[in-house]
Amino acid sequence: MQVFLTQVLNGLQLSMLVYLLAAGLTLIFGLMNILNLAHGAFFTLGAYCGVVVGSSTGSFWLALLVGPLLPLLLGIALQSMVLQPLAERGRSTHLDLALLTFGLLFATAGAVEWLFGSAFLSIPTPMALSGHLDLLGISYPAYRLFIIGIGLAVAAALTFVFDRTLLGATLRAGVDNRAMVTALGVNINALFAIVFGLGAALAGLAGVIAAPLTSVYSQMGITIVVETFVVVVVGGLGNLRGSFYASLIVGMTNAMSQAYLPEVEMFAIYALLIGVMIVRPQGLFRSVERVA
Amino acid sequence: MSEEATIARTPPTARETVALAAQVQRTTCVLAAAVLLGALALPWLSASYATTLAIEIMIGGIFASGINLLLGGTGLVSLGQGMFLGLGGYGIGIGTTVLGLPLWLSVPATLLVVAILAAGIGAVCTRTRGVEFLLITLAFSQMFFGAAIKLRLTNGSDGMSGIPRPDLTFVGLNSDNPVVFYYYVLIVTIFAVAAMRRIISSPFGSVLAAIRESERRAAAMGYAVGRYKIGAFVIAAIACAAAGVLQAQYTYFINPDSMSWQLSGEGVLMVIIGGATTVAGPLVGAAVFVLAKQGLSIVTTEYMMFFGIFFMLVVALFRNGLVEALKAALWSKS
Amino acid sequence: MSALEARHLSKAFGGLEVISNLSLTVPPGQRRAVIGPNGAGKTTFLNLVTGWLTPTSGHVLVDGQTVAGRPEKVTQSGIARSFQRNMLLEDLTVMENLRVACQAVHPCRLVFWRSKQAFADVIEKAHRAAERMHLTDILDVPVRHLSYGQKRQLEVALALCSEPRILLMDEPAAGTSPQERARLINLINGLPKELTIVLVEHDMDVVFATCDLITVLSYGKVLATGTRREIQDDPTVMEAYLGHRHAGN
Repeated sequence: MQVFLTQVLNGLQLSMLVYLLAAGLTLIFGLMNILNLAHGAFFTLGAYCGVVVGSSTGSFWLALLVGPLLPLLLGIALQSMVLQPLAERGRSTHLDLALLTFGLLFATAGAVEWLFGSAFLSIPTPMALSGHLDLLGISYPAYRLFIIGIGLAVAAALTFVFDRTLLGATLRAGVDNRAMVTALGVNINALFAIVFGLGAALAGLAGVIAAPLTSVYSQMGITIVVETFVVVVVGGLGNLRGSFYASLIVGMTNAMSQAYLPEVEMFAIYALLIGVMIVRPQGLFRSVERVA
Repeated sequence: MSEEATIARTPPTARETVALAAQVQRTTCVLAAAVLLGALALPWLSASYATTLAIEIMIGGIFASGINLLLGGTGLVSLGQGMFLGLGGYGIGIGTTVLGLPLWLSVPATLLVVAILAAGIGAVCTRTRGVEFLLITLAFSQMFFGAAIKLRLTNGSDGMSGIPRPDLTFVGLNSDNPVVFYYYVLIVTIFAVAAMRRIISSPFGSVLAAIRESERRAAAMGYAVGRYKIGAFVIAAIACAAAGVLQAQYTYFINPDSMSWQLSGEGVLMVIIGGATTVAGPLVGAAVFVLAKQGLSIVTTEYMMFFGIFFMLVVALFRNGLVEALKAALWSKS
Repeated sequence: MSALEARHLSKAFGGLEVISNLSLTVPPGQRRAVIGPNGAGKTTFLNLVTGWLTPTSGHVLVDGQTVAGRPEKVTQSGIARSFQRNMLLEDLTVMENLRVACQAVHPCRLVFWRSKQAFADVIEKAHRAAERMHLTDILDVPVRHLSYGQKRQLEVALALCSEPRILLMDEPAAGTSPQERARLINLINGLPKELTIVLVEHDMDVVFATCDLITVLSYGKVLATGTRREIQDDPTVMEAYLGHRHAGN
């Protein structure tokens, strides 16, 4: 029972980490119909920034604060200076933009390799969170609980903003009818740029958070990004709530198979993806009917 | 809009369109014949370095042609075709070095297994479209990549070596000789290109084109769109696997890098550079890509970063590829 | 036995019931018009019949049998449809559009080892379809270069290529010029008498010139069915849909 509970918490922790990435990716897609295949690059950049800040200041908390800043700025720049103009020019379809971000994935993977080499780096766990907490009869690492906490907080904040604020309503309206919203005087381009930046920042945050747990290396974005893709497709592309539930499913699947069926651990997620694609290709949580 | 621009945009009359098409056809035939003659004579005209580059271009061309059946032919952008190239190479690798089967058995068996796998994978993937399709093909590709690294059967990340080239002793030739291997690859390439051309101009191919233009219309016409997509997926997989077989024979070796997302991306780039609307496009794109990669690797070791930038520029600026740009140049001269 | 029958057909999207308890019967060979204001559910009705939507309840029956459910199967069983908004193969030529449409009901459609030019009967059928719709002059033009009226003609032509027994047309006269409209009327009246036609239209000139019977839809229900005279004399219909110009003619 104790082992099971530990696995549940492990699954939750994995879920929240993936959720931070999936939320950004699905947000960007849902609002702008852009599939950012380079999303993993923001994750990697956040981690590396965190390493730089953490090793020069010795403070994890500073790294946590500063780490997501570069992804945030890069995200805003990418959207407003590259993707937006191309989309407006009309020559580039959404698929073209997705391919463009694929090229960006190559470029950033190469750039990170060039700048930081292939050494494995790390951020040390902060003193305050390096102990264990006694919870429900088990002793669980505090840092992992911290990750769970952050994930849930972000989920709550995003839901609040999108469902209950004017900003959220404006963004949802902008997706529905961009021209109308612009005509109403809203600078939708600025909003989209900010949202893109926010999505990138979330990925960067995930990178900093993940650093004490795993190593920081140039390819780290690739593995987690594939899991992110699975979450986003299972949850339904563009469906924020769906990606939360899908993150839970994927995280739990990962943890449980790691613990109980280690041989098939790698295939478990893909089996999940295949299963969902066969049964409901539009994602488990989408509720829109496709009409002629 | 200025008047000159309006005049320039007047749609062509039927007669002009037919005349242009005929002219393009003639030019294409002449060019194709020239390329073929050049290809046949290449080993005698130049150093062995050119021959090895040409082999890489042809293998890349077959790979890109497979990708283009989906991309330009059906409108499906797959970022996972590397998995079939890898499966082709690993297929004969396992067949020859593990199972001890002769090549003339391993190759068809590999292609058959790939076709069956592709039918299954295709059945799942084609339930989606657009960016979701892109993601799922990428995910499947990563799955096979992971399997190749982890499985003992495939010798993990060390890869499999000792993959044999075809035994041509019955015609008195040794395929370890680069020139002989070159002609072997050339013959396979000619066959593959001819087959691709025939498939695209067949009724089946015309339905793929219809699906690309308007999937709903194709369904309304009465076509079982899903089945056609799976068919295209299978044929594309076979082409990519054939490229994988050649690749493995070329280097006597296969490793998981042949199944990576980078490789899938390189293939897509070849198609985009050359243009997705013609049969020649992927081949031209493969040529430009291989030559550019060679040139780039002489200049710098950071190939990946510049490759990424190059990729982005091509997608942003030359969406229709080089072949279309050439055609447009032809038209503006007439 | 009726060619086309809808039995207690309903379709709801979430809380909104777009079609509610709709029943109608079209006997073979009849020319039936379906009219009503935007939002009455006319296109939804066509979508239900041709398999693009599944009914929430009720049945669609063709020749007494429940409809197949997927658009491609519906077409293969002899029902064809032209769309309200042109759905053409834009980068292909007019000829290729027609050829592909005719090929769909031909056994060669799965052949991948021979050139499509080898199947002369399909090409012949496409030529005849072009002649019927006066498209022979523009056969080699890519569709994206056609005028709106020409595209509309092609839209109808494509539906006829599958040699249907029942033809459904969704506002074929929308956006066409008077000459094109006249041509459309002649075309419809020139179609084989065995072909059952259901015509969704706003243009009453076309409706009156081609159709035997008119069904009026309102808010997803059948308001009235009758001849031109009966519909024009029906006060509820007259008031809501025909306006005063046609009333009392």
